Amino acid sequence: MTNIEWEPLLEMFIFETTQMLEQLEQNILKGEEAKIFDASDINEIFRIMHTIKSSAAMMQCLPISKVAHSVEDLFSCLREDKPQNIEYSILTDLILDVLDFMKAGIEKVSARVELNDDPTRLIQKINDRLYAIKNENGDGNKEFILCNNYRATIFFEDDCGMEHLRAFTLVHNLKEHTESMDEIIPSNLDEDKSQEIIKQEGLKIRFRSLKTNEQMHEILSNNPFIRDLLFEQILEEQETLNTAKGESYQSKEGGAEEENTNKTVHQNLISVNVTKLDMLMDIVGELVISEAMVLQNPDLTGLKIDNFQKSSIQLQKITNELRDIVMSIRMLPLSTTFRKMQRLVRDMSKKLDKEVRLITSGEETEVDKNIIENISDPLMHLVRNSLDHGIESSEEREATNKPKIGTISLEAKHVGSDVLIIIKDDGGGLDKKKILAKAKANGLLHKAENEMSDKEIYNLIFLPGFSTKESVTEFSGRGVGMDVVMRSIGNIGGTVSVDSKEGAGSTITMKIPLTLAIIDGMIIQVGKGWYTLPITAIRESFRPNEHDIIKDSENHEMIIVRGQCYPIIRLHELYKIHTKITDFKNGILVMVEQGEKSICLFADALLGQQQVVVKSLPNYIRNVKKIVGVTGCTLLGDGNISLILDIGSLIDFRNINLIKNYKSNL
Amino acid sequence: MKKVMIVDDAAFMRLSLKMILEKNDYMIVGEAENGEVAIALYQEICPDIVTMDITMPVMGGIEALKEIIKKDVSAKVVMISAMGQESYVREAIVAGAKHFIVKPFKEDLIIRTLNSLS
Repeated sequence: MTNIEWEPLLEMFIFETTQMLEQLEQNILKGEEAKIFDASDINEIFRIMHTIKSSAAMMQCLPISKVAHSVEDLFSCLREDKPQNIEYSILTDLILDVLDFMKAGIEKVSARVELNDDPTRLIQKINDRLYAIKNENGDGNKEFILCNNYRATIFFEDDCGMEHLRAFTLVHNLKEHTESMDEIIPSNLDEDKSQEIIKQEGLKIRFRSLKTNEQMHEILSNNPFIRDLLFEQILEEQETLNTAKGESYQSKEGGAEEENTNKTVHQNLISVNVTKLDMLMDIVGELVISEAMVLQNPDLTGLKIDNFQKSSIQLQKITNELRDIVMSIRMLPLSTTFRKMQRLVRDMSKKLDKEVRLITSGEETEVDKNIIENISDPLMHLVRNSLDHGIESSEEREATNKPKIGTISLEAKHVGSDVLIIIKDDGGGLDKKKILAKAKANGLLHKAENEMSDKEIYNLIFLPGFSTKESVTEFSGRGVGMDVVMRSIGNIGGTVSVDSKEGAGSTITMKIPLTLAIIDGMIIQVGKGWYTLPITAIRESFRPNEHDIIKDSENHEMIIVRGQCYPIIRLHELYKIHTKITDFKNGILVMVEQGEKSICLFADALLGQQQVVVKSLPNYIRNVKKIVGVTGCTLLGDGNISLILDIGSLIDFRNINLIKNYKSNL
Repeated sequence: MKKVMIVDDAAFMRLSLKMILEKNDYMIVGEAENGEVAIALYQEICPDIVTMDITMPVMGGIEALKEIIKKDVSAKVVMISAMGQESYVREAIVAGAKHFIVKPFKEDLIIRTLNSLS
């Protein structure tokens, strides 16, 4: 497997198998929820296992292949037998074990580590389960149920003579190993003319047997007169396909065509190395910058160049499309991440003996692949916390008149250029007193207790070294909790906030950017400086009427638009920029929103819309001073640098200032 | 070493079979020139494998095969047939013969056939 030529195949194998395993996990959990596996579930699981079995064998991952094989047996029993008496939860546990085993295996394969896991115990468990199911549903013809379907094409030795009688003998002798002989071609072995047919086209048989593929193959190849043997196991689907069309196995061409069309469909998908995509993204970023450099080249100012303008519009259009496509390639739905949570909740609630239901919504929301990777762990941590610390035990819940089954909801949605992921539980909620006591004990309080708002208290849990749970459980509460979540979400430019109601549960909201790379921006001017606002955040821009502006007692300016009151931030004041335009009638107000909050920013002028490549602020700036409301910077076409404003933190800043001023004036 | 009994009315055939088999590590424990002798001998020497000609005087191969199978269901009998004896071969197979070899036979085919029975 270290062979280079295997590499593309191996990647495909890993990719496909991982996908199938995830799909499988989903099916299993669904089946458990409904306390029943319907026929299509069973078929699907069977099919997936069958596929994994053969592809794993191809890739020399024998442990995986072997395990898949026994699961296949188990499900073929479920499929054919339709036993009534299945311990669904035992079965689910078992299959999930199998999934874990396979996942671990695939992980090893992708890390190019030798796969030497011993599957014997697991296989034993599967077989035991199969045996138990068969026993519990003991019926006479159970053996028939486990029948495998085979077909074989046999050519006899050239000089063995009497081929039709050889065939007759073979079929006759085979009877002791088969349950039924479904098809023999040529059908009449008594006729002399079938001798020629067998000589030319071989003997074709289809039969059912309890024997495994290997056993059957051995039995057949033991026949001394066989020169060539084509032997295979038939899957149910293939079989129905053929019979439905009224075709016998003879119509080989038809089948081959079918396979071909299938293949072309498959080849529409290719897997690409992510680093290549990253490179592509970088290059598109550079392209966007150089496009701006060309089109806004200072040398062009004042020239009358109509044709150039036309072509440049075309160029802009294409770069836009290119950017959109590259970004969309990198987008993945959150469903995979959410599915992992389903599994987590299931496993944990069993171990903790709590009844918990996970409701997910918005899993189709797409985010950049890099971001998905970064939020998976924090999300898992948060869900764990909710389950372990949030949701109470069934008894406690009943005592407080809550539904016995706890609910955790996981929701994802787009808000502007951000994605919100909300984890909500209907558990006990955060205990303010405990938090305060704990924070005090750990010396994390820097403010008088009675001065802290609820939100501030809740936010204490994000401080490093904070953990209210006395006992450390298997799942959460190792004391490395929320601050790690905070940090990893912060690393990708997101924020985490928490809200809670005692006795009614808590809500944790993660706000993460949709993408890290390129955004549509509006360039605004303040004094000599240029700033960029994300287009998606802008609601409108307008020149205000003087009489719409009002001031509160603290001289905070606000504006009334259509009956609503919005606070105003003068950017030149905030960033202490000298500008001639300080009067509202000379500048412009840009109304921006984030979530449900809106605010008006006062700038000198709008300069125009442009795609900007987001670059993070260099460390030497970030380390020296935290600049309010700036997320990053970007390079404009003329080489100028523009700071990208972060609407959310501007709104927060304004609110905090209001509170601060209010308090200091008391 | 496998014990084989050869049943054939032609001494030449018995000899050639014997030579082929002995060369290939089979032990010939008995020879019979017709069905009746074969049945008696079978019970006496209990061979692992029987090669059985079809047309023989006194009692034919098919009849002998049926008797032998009646006494020992697990008997491994290989029929030796000539061209044109299809219907007999079919009957023999139904009656429980494991394989059949067509005369004139080739050494390797015989050996492979017998090997496959063990």
